[in-house]
Amino acid sequence: MNVIETKHLTYSYPGADKPTLKDVTVNIEKGDFLAIVGNNGCGKSTFCKTLNGLIPQFIGGDFKGSVKACELDTRTADVADLARKVGYVYQDFENQIIRPTVLDDASYACLNYAMTDYKERGLKALEQCGLSGKEDDFIWQLSGGQTHLLALAGAVSLQPEVLILDEPIAQLDPKHADGIYRVLKNLNENHGKTIIVIEHHTEYIADFCKHVMLLKDGELKWVLPTEEALQQVEELQECNIFPPQVTIAAHRMKRAGGLNDNTPLPVTIEKAKDLFALKDDINTSAPLIPSDNSEAVASFRNVSVSYRTVKGEPHTVFKNLNLDINKGNKIALIGSNGAGKSTMMKLLVGLLKPGTGEVLLNGKSIKNVKPEALSRQISMVYQNPEDMFIKDSIYGDISYAMEVRNVENCMERTEELLKCFRLTELKDRDGRLLSGGQMRRASLAIGVALNPGILLLDEPTANLDIATRKEIMRTLEDMKEITETVVIATHDMQLVCEWAERIIVLYNGEVVADGNRNEIFGNPDIVNKVGIRPPEIFSLGQEINKDALCYTIDEFLDKFEGRA
Amino acid sequence: MKIGEKLSENILDKLSIDFLRNQVLKNAYGNNDTVIAGMDPRILLIWYLFFGLVPWFVSDIPFLIGCFVLVAVTTIMARVAGLVLFLFGLGVFSQTGYLLIVTLIFGGDASAIAPLLILTLKVATVSLASVTVFSGMDPDKLANGLMWYGCPERLSFSISYAYRMLPILMEEFQNILLSYRLRGNPPEHKSFIGKIKYLVYQIKIIIHSFYPLMLNTAKRSRTTVEVLEIKGYRYAAVNKNVKKIRLSCLKMSNNDLLFLAVSFLWIAVTILVSTLI
Amino acid sequence: MSNTMKNSANASQKLMVFVLTMALYGLATLFTELIPKFQVGIVEFSVEYFLFIPLTLAMLFDPMSVALGAATGELVFGEIMLGQFGGLGELEKFITVTIGVYIAGRLVSNPENRKLVGIAAFGGTAIQLLLGTVVDILKVQFAIEDFEAVAGLPESVFATEGFAFANDLLFSGILFCLLPTLFLVPKLHGKIEPLLGMQPRTKETALGNIGWKAILGCVVAFAVAVGAEFLAENGMSLIDWEADWAESSTAFAIGMVVAAAVAVVIVLVMRMRTKSEPVGKDV
Repeated sequence: MNVIETKHLTYSYPGADKPTLKDVTVNIEKGDFLAIVGNNGCGKSTFCKTLNGLIPQFIGGDFKGSVKACELDTRTADVADLARKVGYVYQDFENQIIRPTVLDDASYACLNYAMTDYKERGLKALEQCGLSGKEDDFIWQLSGGQTHLLALAGAVSLQPEVLILDEPIAQLDPKHADGIYRVLKNLNENHGKTIIVIEHHTEYIADFCKHVMLLKDGELKWVLPTEEALQQVEELQECNIFPPQVTIAAHRMKRAGGLNDNTPLPVTIEKAKDLFALKDDINTSAPLIPSDNSEAVASFRNVSVSYRTVKGEPHTVFKNLNLDINKGNKIALIGSNGAGKSTMMKLLVGLLKPGTGEVLLNGKSIKNVKPEALSRQISMVYQNPEDMFIKDSIYGDISYAMEVRNVENCMERTEELLKCFRLTELKDRDGRLLSGGQMRRASLAIGVALNPGILLLDEPTANLDIATRKEIMRTLEDMKEITETVVIATHDMQLVCEWAERIIVLYNGEVVADGNRNEIFGNPDIVNKVGIRPPEIFSLGQEINKDALCYTIDEFLDKFEGRA
Repeated sequence: MKIGEKLSENILDKLSIDFLRNQVLKNAYGNNDTVIAGMDPRILLIWYLFFGLVPWFVSDIPFLIGCFVLVAVTTIMARVAGLVLFLFGLGVFSQTGYLLIVTLIFGGDASAIAPLLILTLKVATVSLASVTVFSGMDPDKLANGLMWYGCPERLSFSISYAYRMLPILMEEFQNILLSYRLRGNPPEHKSFIGKIKYLVYQIKIIIHSFYPLMLNTAKRSRTTVEVLEIKGYRYAAVNKNVKKIRLSCLKMSNNDLLFLAVSFLWIAVTILVSTLI
Repeated sequence: MSNTMKNSANASQKLMVFVLTMALYGLATLFTELIPKFQVGIVEFSVEYFLFIPLTLAMLFDPMSVALGAATGELVFGEIMLGQFGGLGELEKFITVTIGVYIAGRLVSNPENRKLVGIAAFGGTAIQLLLGTVVDILKVQFAIEDFEAVAGLPESVFATEGFAFANDLLFSGILFCLLPTLFLVPKLHGKIEPLLGMQPRTKETALGNIGWKAILGCVVAFAVAVGAEFLAENGMSLIDWEADWAESSTAFAIGMVVAAAVAVVIVLVMRMRTKSEPVGKDV
């Protein structure tokens, strides 16, 4: 039975000159777990919004063809009926939560549709989404992952047959991301829901999804079973989708003649580990980077910080923190959400003053220095680039800090930065209206405008699709030349492995490990304790040989060969 | 001019938005386990109707003092956040303080003091009654209570949505101000002229920061309203049944009656005292 | 069918504008509440420091939704949230802000026209302030009974009221309403509308001139505002409670005390009982 049937669906937004969706005809079966992939702007979100009647009932525009969801025609069916059939979770899920407390929000839709058992329905949805015990919490007390689960629970409460999620894990650390997918799997397998996700993390697709649908420029390319779909390596890469690292590794080895032409490409570590073997003649240990003895540019001395809370005792983030950041360091700061990464950055730029102890910048305490006076020494780029845009053009944003400080040849320098970050053509556009990658590049350019000695980046690759992420990583690589000392707080382990020279692991406000990547990823105690998820290719190497520490596909292909 | 100085210190430095956010949240949700918060909103609204209106009509000093003491006690019971109490104090002072000065300038004399005292008591009692009810009550309950009395649905939605959004909005605003702070270059403000310049600079920054804030909030509201549509907000607004279900959680308990009865007793005693004097 | 579809899309857009204005102006008034008020008696230097926000939005979007959103935002964030709710008197501000913002929004047929934007911003502020002043003066005239004993007060009220209006309009009207609106409208025009999925306002899509209906609506609303203000503050001159009060005898007061005490005892007994019964619950 099909839960979704679209026929020759063509749609353009009001005022747009080109259709966003072109002649899409597809059937989705009941009980499927479907991933929709495609490049940015290919119409994934638009397609999903046609499935629950949001298009065309609330968003106008030119709509041709038909969409049937659970036998209901989305053009004519009552929205109330449709909502009970198709649930939708937005990418910016934070704005999807409307009520102040958890149970209230979960049962809100049921109440609005006048179901007398709305509370029970809300409770059931919370249970299905793994939020039992949080019923009376306030929204702001939830972590990012829990907030997302609540948005899901709000959709589940109506017990729709189809659930659509737009990039459910884009902003989450691996632990929370796993949590979301486990919940989805449970809903799919034990409650018979059809799940549709827009997803570009192909490792998750490989682990959880049954089918994959590829959209390219508004046109449907194909719908295939996951294994088969992820093996279309070249076609996917053309659309800026990157198959799992293990698949790419096998694909490259196959092309180089290292693997039999008939072997299907593996999509999970489980399937891949039997295909490869360690080359005999290669030394397994990667070269160690010598420890540096350069001078400290920033230091924490016995720093303790705590936050006021709404109720009860203040929450302590750091207690007696001691840490040195040395000149020329390229540091990755890792640890789960709430471990204190952002607090550490705020301390460094002087936005937060320590309760006790002191923070030194270039040997001087910043206790009585105003943050604006530090901006030539240190600069911070927020996680959310939109908060960095305060002017109406990115040219204005980049030059602002220099202009107000009467920096000489401010105009030339702005032009130079625009060129360096490939933004020259966009310089008159408002930062907010750019694409994700452009926004991020612009925010980096703003961050380095004053040429600070130390640059702090908060999650520079969050919320980006893989192609854009690669682009940002290239930009970061280029920036190593521009800025001496860089600290990046991130969950993105590929970024950590490829970019960082020193890794600091925070856990509950303490530095539990500090070293190069071999010292961190090669130490199972730390990895398990903190819940670090190394890149897939690293895990694959470890799976085959405990001593193999390879962080990139290139390194992996150097050390391993196809098993005969 | 002193006010100018004070302002320039206040706006961005001492009164950090972080503090403000914390206080407002505390006020909204930090006191949901008090006696006042546990009460039926309908009872509290009736109670407020009395203490918010009657003192205006009465000029009897013992009666006003009695009312004032009662609302002061309920305010303590409601464990209202410090900021709100500070605002209350400021409001009362500025209203009667200025009045006093102006009356004196225009030829008033000591005879003005008594009416001023009465006015102060009136203002203070009425404000404290509103502080008790509107700060002490859980916003959601308040919304339900108002709805029960037939206030437009839009208003009660606005109240609970406002409390939901406030932390997010404040954070966003704070981040934008921080961007200005980190990248901007405020004028030196040691001298007097510098202080004035600094004040002007701060006001300018706050106005300018609404440009990004408007755009960011616009993005948010779009999602929110789409979700409201899906979740049947408009469907509920015209459906009488939904209102009934929503309001069925309002229940009067003995505590509510006791609260009313004790308030009544206290007022009766004050009246008695005032007739005896 | 397509007609109903258009209607629901419109209603949803109006809701969006309402929510947007409420959130923004509400947040802004939260800060205004923290700035000490300059108040001389009942004369208030009622500077709406952030009126430029609804003014700007009213020129870009549906003016009525913006006006109502702004007034609601102020009521909810600025008054209720901080426990500063002043009862019926708040209705006055609610209505004057709504009228001022609505008229300003309706005046602008083309946001590209800076002159028009300027006139509308200034005019809207002037209307809001003028209505407030009229209410204040009327209020004093009715309340004068109480204050007549105090020599010089009526004159002072007229003087300060007039001065406050002029000062508010020329100083804060220009600094906080006119200039920011002139700065923001052209910057936001064409940028913010697509974010809400709407077409920018142009000459063709504007609502047209203000008709007599709108004017009548404003007049009626204003009358309500004046009425509410009187009810809130000057009820004493309308209903003579005072006299009633003086006559109330001690015996009557004792009776009240006894009745109240009995009520307290009854409730206490009821409470004890329900507490002793395990399943006992609400009345």
